[in-house]
Amino acid sequence: MSAIPTVQDDRFSRRRRDRGRYVRLGVWVWAACSLFTTVWADGGTARPPADRPLPQLTAGYVSSATCYACHPGNYGSWHASFHRTMTQTGSPENIIPEMDGLTLSHDGWIYQVTRRNGTYQVQRRAEVDAAGGFSAPQEIVLTTGSHHLQIYWLATGDGRTLVQFPFAYIVAQKIWAPVIQTFLAPPEFRTIYDVGEWNGACMQCHTTAPRGRYVGGNRFDSQVAEFGISCEACHGEGAEHIARNRNPLRRFSLHLGTKPDPTMVNPAHLKAPESTLVCGQCHSISAFVGMEEKIAWSQWGRKYRPGQPDLQQKFLLQPNAPDHAEQKQAILQQNPHYFSDRFWRDGMVRVTGREMNAVVASPCAKSAEFSCVSCHDLHPKTGGDARWAAWADGHQLATTTESNTSCLQCHPRIAADLPAHTHHAAESTGSLCYNCHMPHSAFGLLRAIRSHQVSSPTVRETLDYGRPNACNLCHLDKPLAWTADKLTAWYGRPQPALTVDDREIATGVRWLLQGDAGLRALTAWSMGWAPAQQASGRGWLYPYLFTGMNDPYAVVRFISWRSLRSLPGFADYPFVYTEEGPALDATVRTGYLDWRQHLQPGHAPYPEGTGLLPDGQFQQDLFRRLLRQRDQSPVFIVE
Amino acid sequence: MNPPTASSMQQSNCHLRFGWRSLLVFLSLGLGLELLHGFKLGWYLDVGNEMRRLMLTLAHAHGTLLALVNIAAGLTLRAVKGFTLSASASWSLRAAGLLLPLGFLLGGLKIYDGDPGIGVIFVPVGALLLLYGTGGAVRTLVRVTREQD
Repeated sequence: MSAIPTVQDDRFSRRRRDRGRYVRLGVWVWAACSLFTTVWADGGTARPPADRPLPQLTAGYVSSATCYACHPGNYGSWHASFHRTMTQTGSPENIIPEMDGLTLSHDGWIYQVTRRNGTYQVQRRAEVDAAGGFSAPQEIVLTTGSHHLQIYWLATGDGRTLVQFPFAYIVAQKIWAPVIQTFLAPPEFRTIYDVGEWNGACMQCHTTAPRGRYVGGNRFDSQVAEFGISCEACHGEGAEHIARNRNPLRRFSLHLGTKPDPTMVNPAHLKAPESTLVCGQCHSISAFVGMEEKIAWSQWGRKYRPGQPDLQQKFLLQPNAPDHAEQKQAILQQNPHYFSDRFWRDGMVRVTGREMNAVVASPCAKSAEFSCVSCHDLHPKTGGDARWAAWADGHQLATTTESNTSCLQCHPRIAADLPAHTHHAAESTGSLCYNCHMPHSAFGLLRAIRSHQVSSPTVRETLDYGRPNACNLCHLDKPLAWTADKLTAWYGRPQPALTVDDREIATGVRWLLQGDAGLRALTAWSMGWAPAQQASGRGWLYPYLFTGMNDPYAVVRFISWRSLRSLPGFADYPFVYTEEGPALDATVRTGYLDWRQHLQPGHAPYPEGTGLLPDGQFQQDLFRRLLRQRDQSPVFIVE
Repeated sequence: MNPPTASSMQQSNCHLRFGWRSLLVFLSLGLGLELLHGFKLGWYLDVGNEMRRLMLTLAHAHGTLLALVNIAAGLTLRAVKGFTLSASASWSLRAAGLLLPLGFLLGGLKIYDGDPGIGVIFVPVGALLLLYGTGGAVRTLVRVTREQD
């Protein structure tokens, strides 16, 4: 049956048509709004607020995200490394501990942290001013580090200038401490970094392509290509490399040929000095050639690019080298301790993170093959989260470096009969090249670090320069005379003139009691080092580590505590190393008495020369005399 | 359904044989890839081997799909009266079914970071043959079916 359309039907169908039109219009409006909102929102989040350093890709820099597309493996190993996390934004996912509700006090101030809108805000008030309110909140905008320590930077609101949150988080122990007490610094120092220190100094090495951009007063307008130390810090800018390698024929001719790509620097393919300099642009003690260079660096960034033969605006600061005498004199006038805080008296580096000065002073550096990548592998071939995590935690060493392979490739004669050279069993830690030739005589990040200046142990380095020798860093219970005798008998080293103490007292005891704070820190660390405990015995270490836990330098206390926790019976021993005064004395005394009461009887007798009576008490006259003779020179080692 | 001619029957058999054999091979490759996943082999799964994973996955997917295309071609030859493929189109479809997945497979065996191995050169050749073969099939099929309409 066919229906005849009526006026009502016609009106109904028109209404339906109109409704369809409205729906379509609505869909288009919704789509346009969505597109606009997406673009607008993206633009809004890409550019951070004006109160923090700005990530800004200048000409030539492309960022690690771009490198990922073609180099996922290298990106993956870099991503697992602590280079990436050297500087991160202050968002809660980048901050290791939960900080909401955290309250800490230091140097007369109470700090309170709260989490608001996905950010951490810090407020402070004076301890004495209990009635007064807290200051205006400052946001944590950046973090430094994530391996051993993590420290935090607050926006000041004055341009992009930052100020440090004065507490650091010690990752392994999961504790907070004032930043100054994570550096080996005299106890009278209460703070370390001023406003703008990040913009003026830290960012130079903790970001990629930094430009501090000093404006005036305490004001900076800092920019970086990327937070953290990313691909282009070591390989140079990537824009040209990417542009030219869009051509697949070019890429495959490079893959199938033997020549390296000239548009990209690969430190592994550079000659040793240039390769070392890639790392050394940050891992060195260097100084600006002059004020003009410093200003140019701040405004326009570093002139040096990976692959170049020198740092251009800076020079490598070797205290005993004859170059740049005028600049060195100026540095010493400004800070008389500048060199002694960084170098042993013979010019060997004593602070970590400055390895290039040590590498180039090594005899191995005379070979054209010896560079950082001889031992370190920045992009291990085999990956995976667990393997990369272990590699990153293990100082990014090549697998060959964990054994003697790296050294023996240049010293095959020694490889033929290892014990004949080492005079230790072939499989023992005493036969590992680096334990004797790269001992733990540098310091930083709350630990002893291997010297990167390859050298042979001598007693003279201890007598003349105050540096711990490799033999006694392991054989802590032996006097210097024992070491001198062994080195004479095994390697024909001349016998130095020795005192009675050198002949009779365990070197570890003397270093811990008589040494300067740097030597005490290294000794306390060695007392917790498994090979040293194996060689020297453990029982006699307890009372000396308790002594270290009462040291005037907070870091020596921390290291002594950590070493004590490596000994049986004290694995979970609680201790607040930042405590000072009578409370500290009481805590340490309680611990020492606890050891004497419960564990000591099983530890006696003690090795000769360790200055302990059979009941675990110190030989008081000797103990007091050595303490009186302590080297009280202020030590300030800042990595 | 009209019976196919002898020549289209012969072509059909040829595509069906190729298709089913190819299906067996590339489904087996899929099983192999599942095993690589199952045993979490870094050679296949590591971040640095993303390109290998992509290439082998594409080899499996393309091999399987083109096996089905060849089976479909074989069945179409039987089902549509008067439909035959030119010798070159028929050969192209089968060659594409081999070269495309083989290119991905070879490209994944040896990789250069984000680039596949040189074996991937077979892929564009296979893709062109696939286009040519499919184009030939479409042209003939459209003509034949229009005539029938």
